[in-house]
Parts: sequence; C-alpha cells; structure tokens
Amino acid sequence: MSLMPFAPSRPLSIGVELELQLLGCNDYNLAPSAPEILRRVAKRTHPGEIKPEMTRSMIEINTSVQQEYAGLVTELRALRDVVSEAGCFLNVAVAGGGTHPFQHWSEQKIFDAPRFHYLSELYGYLAKQFTIFGQHVHIGCPGPDEALHLMHMLSRYIPHFIALSASSPFVQGHDTGFASARLNSVFSFPLSGRAPFVLRWNDFEKFFAKMAGTGVVESMKDFYWDIRPKPEFGTIEVRVCDTPLTVEIAASIACYIQAMSRYIMVEQRMAPEEDDYLVYTFNRFQACRFGLEGVFIDPRTHQQRSIREDIMEMLEHISDHARELRAVEAMERIREILIVGNGTSWQRRAYASEHNLADVMQLQAELWMGN
Amino acid sequence: MTWSDYLPAWPLQISPALWLALTLVVAVLLGEAMVRHLRLPRIVGYIGIGAVLGPGGLGLIPQLPVNEWRLVVDLALGILLFELGSKVNLRWLKANPWLAGTSLLEAITTFAVVFSVLVWVDVTSTAAAVVATIAIATSPAIIVRTVTESRAQGQVTDRLLLMTALNTIYAVIFHKLAVAVMHGQAGTSFVHTIFPPLYLLGGSALLAWWFGITFERIHHHLGQHEETFSFILFGMIAFATIMASTLRLSPILVLLAAGLITRYQRKHTRTFPPHFGSAGAVLVVLMFIANGLAADLRGLRDGFLLVLLLIVVRIIAKLLAVLPLATYSGIGWRQAISLGIALVPMSSVALLLTMDTAIDFPEFAFGLGMVLMSWIVILELVGPVLVQVALRRAGETPEKKT
Repeated sequence: MSLMPFAPSRPLSIGVELELQLLGCNDYNLAPSAPEILRRVAKRTHPGEIKPEMTRSMIEINTSVQQEYAGLVTELRALRDVVSEAGCFLNVAVAGGGTHPFQHWSEQKIFDAPRFHYLSELYGYLAKQFTIFGQHVHIGCPGPDEALHLMHMLSRYIPHFIALSASSPFVQGHDTGFASARLNSVFSFPLSGRAPFVLRWNDFEKFFAKMAGTGVVESMKDFYWDIRPKPEFGTIEVRVCDTPLTVEIAASIACYIQAMSRYIMVEQRMAPEEDDYLVYTFNRFQACRFGLEGVFIDPRTHQQRSIREDIMEMLEHISDHARELRAVEAMERIREILIVGNGTSWQRRAYASEHNLADVMQLQAELWMGN
Repeated sequence: MTWSDYLPAWPLQISPALWLALTLVVAVLLGEAMVRHLRLPRIVGYIGIGAVLGPGGLGLIPQLPVNEWRLVVDLALGILLFELGSKVNLRWLKANPWLAGTSLLEAITTFAVVFSVLVWVDVTSTAAAVVATIAIATSPAIIVRTVTESRAQGQVTDRLLLMTALNTIYAVIFHKLAVAVMHGQAGTSFVHTIFPPLYLLGGSALLAWWFGITFERIHHHLGQHEETFSFILFGMIAFATIMASTLRLSPILVLLAAGLITRYQRKHTRTFPPHFGSAGAVLVVLMFIANGLAADLRGLRDGFLLVLLLIVVRIIAKLLAVLPLATYSGIGWRQAISLGIALVPMSSVALLLTMDTAIDFPEFAFGLGMVLMSWIVILELVGPVLVQVALRRAGETPEKKT
C-alpha cells in the first residue's frame, strides 16, 4: 500500500475538527447518545460535517475549508447550534473539554461501525480509554515539501498549542495535576509521538512504504503523531489540542496556528534541524503538566522561559501576519487566555466553587452550548 | 429456680418478624442466584420467594399485620417514586413535544383498550373505567429498581422513566375520578362525590409543593455532603409519606410530584446513592417480598382467559401506541419497540390502587379485584424480565466484559 499523492490545497486555508462530549442531563455523566444525535442532525441543513467517533458518547464536528477567523467562527457556531438543538431535543447536554472528569472507561460503548470495532479489538481497553476529546487543526500547504517543512517548524511550538487549549485536569474523578491529562492517553498508543525527521516528500514516501512493508501501518490514519501530513487534503494536521470550552476559543487557537504558519512560511525562512527535537518531549511534558506556567527551552538558544512568555513574544512576531489574515480578534482572545487562564484554570475554579465534578460538567455544558 | 425460668418455653413462640428476617435472607440469596445462573433481575427472586412462601403459596409465612406491612410498602414506594421523579426532567417535554404526545397516546390507548375488553365481557362501564385507569400505570417500583440494577442509560431509559412518571400521575388522577363516579352511582350525595377527589388531588399537590420548597432550602444550607443529605432526604420522604396517609391524601402522587418538583427547580446536579442509602435499599427489597406475600392468584380460577386477554391487549396497546410518533420524537423503530415492551410491568402502584378501591367497595374486591390481582402478580414476575431484555436489546446496559 503506498501513500496517496499530496493533493493541492490553498496555502494557509484552515479547517477545524472538534470532538465533543455527550452528557446525560441528570448526572452529567457521558451518555451513549451519538446515534440519536446523528440521526437528528441528519435532518437539518448545516455547514461542514457531523460524524461519529470511537465511543457512543462522543461526536465530531468538522468545518469546511475556511480562509479566515470570521468565516471559521461563524461556521463553528452554526455547527454548535445544530448539535445543541439536537441535544435539547434528546435531553442530552453537549460540552467541550479534553476529558470527562468522572466517566469510567469500562462503561463506554463502542460506536457500531467496522473501523471502531477493529480498533477496539486491536487496542483493547486503550480504545475505551481513548474517550478523550481533541481539537485537530488543518493548515493548507502549497506543496508536499512545504508541508513537511511547516510540520517540523511548527513542532517547536507544540507546547503553545497544548497550553492554550488545555482543558483536561480531571480524570476518573480526580485532579491529575496536569493541565492536559488527555495527552497522557494519547502517548500510550504505539504509534504516537512525532513524525520522523524527513524533509522531502519522496523520502517521506519511502519511510511510509517501509513502515507499510513491515505490516505495522496501512494508512496515515494509523499514525497518532502530534502533527501529521494529510496528503488527501493537502494539509498538515495539528492534533495536540484539547477541545476548548467554547467554539470561539477553538477558532482563535486555529487562527493562532494559521498566523504562525504564515510567519514560518513567509518571514522566518529557517531550515528545521534534527536537533530541534532534543527538547521536544521535555517541552511537551512541561506544557501538559503545567500549562502556561510550564518551562519552555528554546531548541536553538537553550534559553529558558515560561510558555506564557514564549507565546507573548510569538504574538508580537506574528501580529502583522494576523492582520493580513484578518485574525486580529482571534489574537485578542489568545492574549486574553494568557491573562485569565486556559480551560483547565476555568475548570479548577469551577470545582473550587462547586465542590462537585457533576456541577462543573453542567457549567461546562452551559458554557459550550452558549446559554 | 426451675427450667422454665431460663429456658424458652416449648413450643417456641416465634414472632412473625423472625420469619420475615429469615425470608429477607433467603430472598436475597435467591435473587443473587437468579442473577448469576439465570441472568434474571434480582427482584423476580424477591417477589417470587414471597409468593411461594406466603399465604397464597406454601403458607410457610403467616399473614403479617397489615398495618406494619403497609408502612414498609408505603415508605419503600415513596422512596422509589421520589427517585423516579427526581430523575425526570420535565423541561424535556417543552423541548420535545412529541414525547408528551407519545405519553398521552399511550395512556389513552391503554385505557380505551382495557375498557373496551371489560365492557365486552359485560362489566359495568364504571367498574371497567376504574380498572382501566389502574392499567394505565407502568410500575415505577419495577422500572426504577431494574434501571438502577442494570445501570442502563440512554434514550430508551430516559423516555421510560419519563413516561412511567407521567402515566402513574394519569392513573392516580383518573382512578380517583373514576372512583368518585362509582361513589356517585352508589348513591353518595353530590358534595361527597365531588369533594373527595378535589381534596385528594389539591392536598397532594400542596404537600408535594411544600416538600419541593423545603428540600431546595435545606439543600442550599446544608451544601454538598452527600451522605448527610441522604439521611435528611430519607427522613423527609418518610415524613411526607406518613403525612400523606394521615391526611388521607395520595402518597403516590405526593412523592412522585415532590421528586418532579425538586428536579424541575434544581440548580445543582445531585447524585444520591441508589434508594438514598442502604436503609432505603433494604426497604425496597422488603417491599418486593411483601408484594410477593400479597400475591393472590385466586382470580385465575374463574377468570384465567380474561386475565390472559387483558395482559395481551394491554401489551399490544402500549407497544403500538409508542410506535407512530417514535421517529418524530427522535428514536428508531427498534428503540421504540424496546420502550413499548419496557412499559408493560405493573406492581405496587396498581396494587395499592386496587386495594384502595377494594376497601371502599367490597364487591369489587371479590369480582374484578381478583382478576386485577392475578394480572398484577403475573406482570410483577414477568415485568422485570421484559424491562431488562428491552433495555439490553436497545443497547443501553453496559456491554459484556470481553
């Protein structure tokens, strides 16, 4: 099996996928209502796509290809409204957040589709542990080599995306102390981590052919990398974000990645080096564990600072690009997160005042559904 | 000093409570065996052991004093009804009016079908109406207990709880009205025909409302300690149940409405242990044993075919009535069939309504009452199995461990 050719796409176009939690309105535990929600939304006209996910208490919303913040946020709001309406109709609440705070993995039910049953067979309990909710952002690339370049350059900033979107402190009823505990579940998959340091598409094709030859993988879908190329869309896909608590934050983070990509492609013009990855897992761990307060080590200068400071500086670098992409409002929201905190701080504050994770989940659902 | 000063007198004077304690042990063991070997719900074991050992069966357990039993049954049923009410979100009816439509259609169809069959076999229309109102109710006790035990969750479960709460309310209200008509025909004066249902319904609503308000206040002040709050809630349920009986209101209506009101007004999610703790759970088990002890199948001797006919038409009525609006309300055919089947059980509520009617009209007790009693016994034993199978087929119980 060989890799698909890299499809053309409009450079710097964006697309967002959000995995959402479906909750019962009595106890705010996860509820296996995806089939009914999907049947309901199938009758409505809406932009983008609404799809099933691994277990029956999750669904995924996908936007169509967008160019800028305004269009993206409008479409995400429309998708949110359609799903929320279906939720109200079925007594199901819908929420963002990277993990459900007190669900029990063994009670999750696999969605009835061949691929999900296959994965469930293969990964066993990992598949049900995988009841976690992420945001994936696609960035359009002018060509395959450019895609690999962007992928490796963006890897440096992975901690930014993790810290900004982090919204999964609670797992199985307890505060894990992590800002994003969700990524810990991803790391247990054998093919997680980062892409190999390969800069030419034909080298990447060779790598893929070798991997496919070993029988370990069949398609790009089998790699659970933090960032991976998506040849059939002509994009790279950033997969480290937790689903934020609102669609506005989701859109802003997507546009932050978009503006940063423009900065990398147009202004920075630096070549990636394999040694950039020496600090990769350390930085990523810091972001997962401590969020915006985490330590960031610059791979080139070896300078240490907080992730918050690094984002602050990046916002300065990319402000012109953001203006060019009409993403000024999105950058304002990113700045706001640096001040008031990410989803995880919101969730911890809510828990401190409510003392009850079900109440936190109720508030989180109200926040997401926009009422 | 003689032997008799310190040894028990022979034969032993055994209090009925001892038998009861023993029955509890045996029933729970039997229930456990049913789950492990036959994969049947435990309550079938509880009810079954009561029926087999009780006066209607082998007669090993003597008739217990009715008043004490009635207190256990009332309290346990109060707990289950409040639990049911507090799991039902009435705002859902506003978001999805098709549910209200389904519920009304289901109740009306059940009433109409049972009423027609009874009139067809030459029962007077008022007596037929009284029985038909009782037949509307799905057993809240069996539903809550089976859902708790099977840890079911999903659309069918949510709808089952909602429709059970609603049809129990319809049943109580229309039963009181039908009984009022019966009184009217029996020659009771107009005032005394009209006033009882008004007093009963109005008073019950008032008591439920008071309960709801107090509940919210106490919860507000007490905060979050769940266990403490369960104790208080247990006390409040007992108080409201006994108060309702003392004031000759309907404990069924009061506790169910109280649960619905607290759920409607709530600002915070609450999770309580099932049946509000182990004391509640023991009462619930005792109630099912008591239901078994009260099992009376004598009605089958003369009315076997009638009972069978009534059971069959009621199942068909419930099943067909949930189908037409199913897709509009957002569930598929398979789920709708599961829902219809799960609505079949009859138990405590029907039993209490039958007994209330029998107290007022002794002739009812020996005629239709007997038929109704047999009907209830059969659906008590079969009902939990149907609910379990329906929820399993709807895919709402946890998946088997692989």
